[in-house]
Amino acid sequence: MPVINEDLEAELGYVTSPAEQQHIRNLWDEADPLMQDISVSLIKGDNNRVDQLTKEALEAGFSANTILDDGLIAGMAIVGVKFRDNLIFVPEVLVAARAMKAGMAHVEPILSASGIEPVGTVIMGTVKGDLHDIGKNLCIMMLSGAGFTVIDLGVDTSPEEFIEAVEENEAGVLGMSALLTTTMPNMGRTIDAIEEAEMREVVKIMVGGAPLSQEFADDMGADGYGKDAMSCVELAKTFMRPDAEPSINPVS
Amino acid sequence: MSYQETMSPKERVMNALAGKLVDRTPAVNPTNVATVELMDLVDAPFPYACQDGEMAARLAATGYTELGFDSVSPYFSIIQESSALGCEMQWEEKDNWPTVRMYNPIWKSADDVKIPAGILEHRDMKAITDSIRMLKDELGDEVAIIGKTMGPWTLAYHVFGVESFLLGTVDNPDETKRALEKLKEISVLFGQAQIDAGADALTFPDHATGDLVSGEYYKEFLQDIHTEMVDALEAPLILHICGKTIDRMPYIAKTGMASFHFDSKNDPQAAMDAVNGGITLVGNINNPETLYARGPEEVRQEVYKCLEAGIQMIGPECAVPLATKIENLMEIPLAIKDWTAERHG
Repeated sequence: MPVINEDLEAELGYVTSPAEQQHIRNLWDEADPLMQDISVSLIKGDNNRVDQLTKEALEAGFSANTILDDGLIAGMAIVGVKFRDNLIFVPEVLVAARAMKAGMAHVEPILSASGIEPVGTVIMGTVKGDLHDIGKNLCIMMLSGAGFTVIDLGVDTSPEEFIEAVEENEAGVLGMSALLTTTMPNMGRTIDAIEEAEMREVVKIMVGGAPLSQEFADDMGADGYGKDAMSCVELAKTFMRPDAEPSINPVS
Repeated sequence: MSYQETMSPKERVMNALAGKLVDRTPAVNPTNVATVELMDLVDAPFPYACQDGEMAARLAATGYTELGFDSVSPYFSIIQESSALGCEMQWEEKDNWPTVRMYNPIWKSADDVKIPAGILEHRDMKAITDSIRMLKDELGDEVAIIGKTMGPWTLAYHVFGVESFLLGTVDNPDETKRALEKLKEISVLFGQAQIDAGADALTFPDHATGDLVSGEYYKEFLQDIHTEMVDALEAPLILHICGKTIDRMPYIAKTGMASFHFDSKNDPQAAMDAVNGGITLVGNINNPETLYARGPEEVRQEVYKCLEAGIQMIGPECAVPLATKIENLMEIPLAIKDWTAERHG
């Protein structure tokens, strides 16, 4: 089914890369118009409408997985591209995330009860001394939506807490966030502590946060750097594959 | 060094802030350059140096006496006003910054914004004004004393929580503006108290960063308030905003502020082009990758790049990581002097 929603077609206009546009367009190829309505409402940050449409979709017999993939995640894909390309900023992403949460409130319990095997387990936390969590929380929302089990350690997380969580949950991926240039070095200290604990081989480490760069991530010895929540999900997916390449730039 | 320095550090900084001629480009620290090494040197560790005027003055003085900067700044963090307003604090220890627990905000709406009586006497506000008085007595004739008063946008993050505040800018922009109008009174109150105590200039951090909001947001919510601050506070103001800011620099240049302290995410030459002579610039030596993680040679290269671009005052892009080596910080004024000697010797 071609994209028929005019608002959605307009939103696709913001995706300038033809390959990327095709990729996102494909997300709606088989999608019902109701799923497209959910996507558009999410992009606009209309949480009440996403809430209402998600309920309607479930009542109409759409599966939770269909609503998640064709409605919510497909909408967030556009939000992610617009954010990456500086067409929108954090406030607009937050209202979209709030709308996604409104939809997730209905589908998540169904997905949890369905017993579907998670894609993998990811430990997420903001590093020691840093209490900022917006970016981390967006990543967690997208990772959960993508089928990962996510253990959220919150903010101000010590190296010991990260290590303990990786061990306890047998997690394959650890994600660290920092917003401050003053706390970024604590990512390196955490990686050092993981090495000292002889756990570096069992966990892939990804880092992110506004002041970070690929260069800084490489210097610290991280396996990957995610510029935004979409990149974070792609990185985590890559790490779950046995032939994972480090430090990819995933949005393509 | 074959060129002659003809100005005191204070004269140099004040001239640069006014856009006047200088004998050489000053090394300035609008945020601060406190490190663990310096804390140990003068026995003034965090968090006590953020709470006690005498310790704050002692630690701030090292920016001049040990590092060779042309200014001193005794307000090391961004939390003094918020602590006095009643925000929940995490004071940390010597090796970490005190911070506000923004996940437990104290206020929900503009109606909640109230300035407590006697707020200037709160320990964490008084520590700053006391330290400025001491620095004025000790170094006031030689070196520029830069105070700091937080802008309403940053205060809003602290008192409302970042996420809640940013959501409010979309849900109810008029309410956001009303909150900023009320919060700016704190900026004026504390800023003027520091000027009265002897501050020569004030840094005005207001973190409407490009990592969070657009340049148009700056224009809509803050440009007028920042313009108003220039008349409300009787000292040169140095606006500080982290992150990418090129898109808002043309608006910032119109506020009338004396200077803009900018981040290394912005190329120095691009920044000069963006402000187009409308405001002086101070910055933008990278903290995490250069000052913290590299050596003096890399610091020198960045200083030279800024000087070649015509940046009027050189300093770290923001408050430096506390484990930064002081030899890297000392390299900033040394590199400026060498560059000046090479060009004008």
